[in-house]
Amino acid sequence: MTASTRRTVLSLYMRVFRIARNWQAQIGVVGDIETEKKYILHEASTLFRQNQQLTDPETIKRCVEECEARIEMGLHYRNPYPRAMHLPPLGLATQKGRKLRAQQRLRKQAKPVYLQSHDDS
Amino acid sequence: MAARVLQHCVRTLRLSSGPLALRAAVVPAAPLHRALSFYSADRRTRCVNRFPSLDVLCRQYGHLPPLTLESIEERVLYVLKLYDKINPEKLQATSHFMKDLGLDSLDQVEIIMAMEDEFGFEIPDGEAEKLMTPDEIVQYIADKKDIYE
Repeated sequence: MTASTRRTVLSLYMRVFRIARNWQAQIGVVGDIETEKKYILHEASTLFRQNQQLTDPETIKRCVEECEARIEMGLHYRNPYPRAMHLPPLGLATQKGRKLRAQQRLRKQAKPVYLQSHDDS
Repeated sequence: MAARVLQHCVRTLRLSSGPLALRAAVVPAAPLHRALSFYSADRRTRCVNRFPSLDVLCRQYGHLPPLTLESIEERVLYVLKLYDKINPEKLQATSHFMKDLGLDSLDQVEIIMAMEDEFGFEIPDGEAEKLMTPDEIVQYIADKKDIYE
């Protein structure tokens, strides 16, 4: 990991923290703001640590894009949770085992960038 | 409420009797005009009798107590002790986060954020990643807040 990527990653981490500090939830109960703040901090620390050991520059770039996408979407919709993804057509496994790999490939292809670190199997 | 009105009255009456016209204290008394006229008649003589020695006219501002190097260091170490990834026994003013305490750069970012929250001012990215020991943090904050020995 080069120095510039390291600096980008750390500044992204700081940015997420600053966003969490000034978070205003959408119209709702006041307790929501605290829950969402905690969620943002917890999510950031888990995902960053999970991807800490990556060395491939392509994967690192994708993770950085994922982080930026989630920041933008969270700020735009005022909702820190990741946006749910629709299953592609014919994306769920059938009884026959042969179609499993095709299904998996379809699902992997359809997975949006902001859900990369999430692992749903 | 009555106590506050009294306080304002005392202050404005003492100030208006003094040679200097301190406008700062008169302005907050403006909304209390009604109360002033009601109280002034009976309070005036009483005020003068009760506070004959209060000759010093001073403005009162609300502000935090001045920071000293010791208080900064105390607060920094306190915040670090509260951080759950640091062992409080091993913590000293010169312990390096990465080499002595075994933290990584993400933890260091979290620590700097906690310091920002504690002292109430923002630390930019470029300088935040250089602060690696509690001593350096204390030095940086003292530089920013212009505190000398």
